[in-house]
Amino acid sequence: MCSSDLCTVAAQRILDRLAWKPGSIDALIMVTQTPDYFLPSTACVVHHRLGLADHCAAFDVGLGCSGYPYGIWLAAMMLQGGGVRRALVLHGETPTRFSDKGDRSVSLLFGDAGSATALESTDPRGAMDWHYALHTDGSGYSSMIIESGGFRDRFGTDPRKHCVSMNGALIFNFTIKRVPALIDETLAGAGVTCSDVDYFIFHQSNQFIMKHLCAKQLLPLEKVPIILKEFGNTGGASIPLTLTQGNLIRPEDRALRLMLLGYGVGLSWGSALVSLDREAILESVELDNTKQVSA
Amino acid sequence: MTQREAVEWIAELFEVSPQELTPDTPRDEIPAWDSLGTLTLMASLDSDFDIVLSDEEVQTIKSVGDILEVMRRNGRLT
Repeated sequence: MCSSDLCTVAAQRILDRLAWKPGSIDALIMVTQTPDYFLPSTACVVHHRLGLADHCAAFDVGLGCSGYPYGIWLAAMMLQGGGVRRALVLHGETPTRFSDKGDRSVSLLFGDAGSATALESTDPRGAMDWHYALHTDGSGYSSMIIESGGFRDRFGTDPRKHCVSMNGALIFNFTIKRVPALIDETLAGAGVTCSDVDYFIFHQSNQFIMKHLCAKQLLPLEKVPIILKEFGNTGGASIPLTLTQGNLIRPEDRALRLMLLGYGVGLSWGSALVSLDREAILESVELDNTKQVSA
Repeated sequence: MTQREAVEWIAELFEVSPQELTPDTPRDEIPAWDSLGTLTLMASLDSDFDIVLSDEEVQTIKSVGDILEVMRRNGRLT
């Protein structure tokens, strides 16, 4: 399955649950670094499959591990900016398809996932208590890279260069340097403390890194769901997957306050501090990855 | 921390006897200092001494002496 396959199923499901007509969607943001094609954008493929209208803006955002907070930020900005009332943020990643089965530094890590998040502008003031922090350090672009297949080396003959290469030590170093500061920055920007946040939803990178970050930031483990055992590292889509699979306890009397934390390939990192009310839908479905979906 | 204490800290990290280590001991003579060992070293420097390595240091640390030098540069060795 490709990113569009996973995201189309997720999107169709949420449209059905919300009883949103396809023609009511004004924007579709497809976050992925594993697109179906170089061109067209995967957003256009999904747009067609969902039967969305031609007034709907649809485009890809080429970010991986950090992409979910970026997608949420972008959609929220579009909703606040006016002209867009309903937006879908889709984040799909199929990293199992770019990992070298012979490279033990990556071959055992990955899983595939696709998500759909529906946002609607009902009260212009409603989104104002969401906070974001977005960062980039392009000097680390080669720390995680697929060297061939793009137009810099279109038909490179080394098959390993068509798979992902990751310098684990540099990625780890980046993470322990940047993520604690990201958490502090987000809390400070929102004027809240750790105790005001119900859950810290980390990109599910690896357990060693996540536990180290928890210890360093004094985050209680019960506030940091880890679903790696079940799904592996599903790239940036691991954040929405954790929302659905992390056994989050929903308060009866108030919104659930979440800090979403994405970090990795780019190097790129970002956060979104969001609130989900009781009506927010959090569910998932498992698909048979061995089956092909016709385009 | 004295250099002797630092060597004991490194020995415990890599589960070897301190007597087996000198500043000249290279990484490839310490079995537990594999790629996961490097992550353990980085995490422990961060947790125990609040030292986050530079990317260059990550790439160039190749011996016990290199670790000691990092600790010295960060003011953790007396």
